[in-house]
Amino acid sequence: MLNEPVGVLVIGAGASGAAFAWSIADVGTSVLCLDQGPWMRQQDYPSNGLDWESRGMADYSTSPNVRRLAADYPVNEQDSAISPLMFNAVGGSTILWAAHFPRLTPGDFRTKTEDGVGEDWPIDYQTLEPYFSLNDRMMGVSGLAGDPAYPYHEPPLPPLPLGKTGNMLASGFEKLGWHWWPSDSAILSREYEGRAPCINLGPCLTGCAQGAKASTDITYWPAAQRKGVQLRTGCRVREITVRPDGMADGVLYYDADGELQEQKAEIVVVACNGIGTPRLLLNSKNRHHPDGLANSSGLVGKNLMFHPYAMVTGVFEEPLRGRRGPVGCSFWSHEFYRTDHSRGFVRGYSFEAVRGFGPAQTALWGMVHGLVPWGADHHSAFARTYDHTATLLGITEDLADEANTVTLDPELTDAHGIPAPKITYRLSDNSQKMLSHAVERATEALTAAGAVETAAMPLVREAGWHLMGTARMGHDPKTSVVNERGQAHDVKNLFIVDGSIFVTAGGVNPTSTIQALALYVADSIKKNLATLFDPA
Amino acid sequence: MTESSAALTDREFMDALLDLVIPPNASGSLPGAGALGLSPGVALALQADPLLGPIVEAGLQAVRAAARSQHPGGLPGMTPEAGTKLVEAQLSAHPFFMMGLLRYVYPAYYQHPQALIGIGEPPRPPFPEGFDVEPTGAALLEKLQSRRRAG
Repeated sequence: MLNEPVGVLVIGAGASGAAFAWSIADVGTSVLCLDQGPWMRQQDYPSNGLDWESRGMADYSTSPNVRRLAADYPVNEQDSAISPLMFNAVGGSTILWAAHFPRLTPGDFRTKTEDGVGEDWPIDYQTLEPYFSLNDRMMGVSGLAGDPAYPYHEPPLPPLPLGKTGNMLASGFEKLGWHWWPSDSAILSREYEGRAPCINLGPCLTGCAQGAKASTDITYWPAAQRKGVQLRTGCRVREITVRPDGMADGVLYYDADGELQEQKAEIVVVACNGIGTPRLLLNSKNRHHPDGLANSSGLVGKNLMFHPYAMVTGVFEEPLRGRRGPVGCSFWSHEFYRTDHSRGFVRGYSFEAVRGFGPAQTALWGMVHGLVPWGADHHSAFARTYDHTATLLGITEDLADEANTVTLDPELTDAHGIPAPKITYRLSDNSQKMLSHAVERATEALTAAGAVETAAMPLVREAGWHLMGTARMGHDPKTSVVNERGQAHDVKNLFIVDGSIFVTAGGVNPTSTIQALALYVADSIKKNLATLFDPA
Repeated sequence: MTESSAALTDREFMDALLDLVIPPNASGSLPGAGALGLSPGVALALQADPLLGPIVEAGLQAVRAAARSQHPGGLPGMTPEAGTKLVEAQLSAHPFFMMGLLRYVYPAYYQHPQALIGIGEPPRPPFPEGFDVEPTGAALLEKLQSRRRAG
């Protein structure tokens, strides 16, 4: 079935697609977004029930391979050291994220110049700064201005309280003289734009029933729809079609009833995350693009970057009231963020202070680390650990490597028969050294804060939140997929706005930067409409 | 019904096993997992788990068979000490059985109102009441103020 053509077609309604759609609507042309998932309802989120921890391991798991919901597609992760995580719905992975909201730092955009590794971005921090600020206002960001690790910026809302856990951990950093700063968090510390403030439910990672945590279904989308953007849910795009001249023509997609539909558009924008985007491009082979759309460089699906995570948890004698409050939003540290060759690795990592576990997670974590046994000693061991833990996450910078890839699985498919993505990912020596360093330093910080015991997970497999690099940005069509405006080198009316276009990963959560990039690309299109499709 | 799934749905056996895994505490404020009636829910969850379900079922079958060979009443007829020893003896042949079982028993237990009360938590969902959180320490904030980058 052929639908009415639109001016701009956005594929994916998550962090980047929502921001882009909201901004591009200013052009005045018709804007349509297709998402494979549904609208979520806050009254359905697990924190409305006593079984919130169970559901976080089932229908609200961060892994699509565990959830296996109708909106999900399977991911072959057998050849990956890290499991990719995501959520498929209006709002995308912002539904289940922690909302820890750091920006990439200026140095992250020029790693080749600074350290001789990776590539420099074709844009810099200052180019993105206005979009970071705009995005902070749209999402509703709480934080404390003046962090010396960043150029000065003012979050629109005051910081979230650290809580006893954060205060305790920060005291450890103080003793060691290490940098720490209250996190920028996309969680409301006060009422903002009609949204109620955080009431410290705790389980942010299974959706915020209060609506205090920003997810784009409740931030960008209502505003985008007021501007006239259309959003169709339950629509899974199979491929991007091309015209005889090689330009994008639109998409073929399966609608909510499973019927194949055709949607034509003047501009196609891909916002499907660092795995979904290369999957779609590789599945859009045609006569003009035999190796997949926009892939003359051969780099679509290559240079996959995660952030390898190390996790160290301390057990304290005092109760910490730790499971109350936004789980991932307390403070960060950039003490080990920049290259120091004496450490034996290049680049670095940030620490993210995390609040305490819920009771079930405490028991399961204790089981894994041999601290909470089953049987006669269970209750006494549980009492020593529950409400007595605090955690530091080391978020390490992954360096791009062409051997780390997203390809199409030759056998595995989704419910519509579309090939599933296959992840091939090996942890580099540099990452392993960085993870080991992070474990040692986190243990030191926890001990300084008063921990009487620590337990480390040197690499957290189920932490592949951040999917980057698989359609990277650059000036040279031979070494990049999109140009400095997010425009595909090979297909002038095709744009990519998600984490795929990252050139480097930094050592911080990427969503703030992903959304700033999406707003910047939208603005570039708006400013260059007359010459958008001219040859380079 | 297979022999192994029969073990999973043998309520008396499962209740006894769950009471070994999480026994009642000495004061009685925390009940045993079996006494809380968690067995049917745990069994259902395991039957729906294609990865852990078969692993746990195999272990359960081995435990039940071993218990029956040692005591005419099987596991429910044994003392906790003897039952624990018997379960531990099966773990060498079924090393992942207990981890798989606990994956479902712990969440089921710690979402039960009686268990929540026993560990000092209110027996209610987080939403809509929420919780209070201690503010950021004033001394810490003062230190940050002195390090602030100027606007």
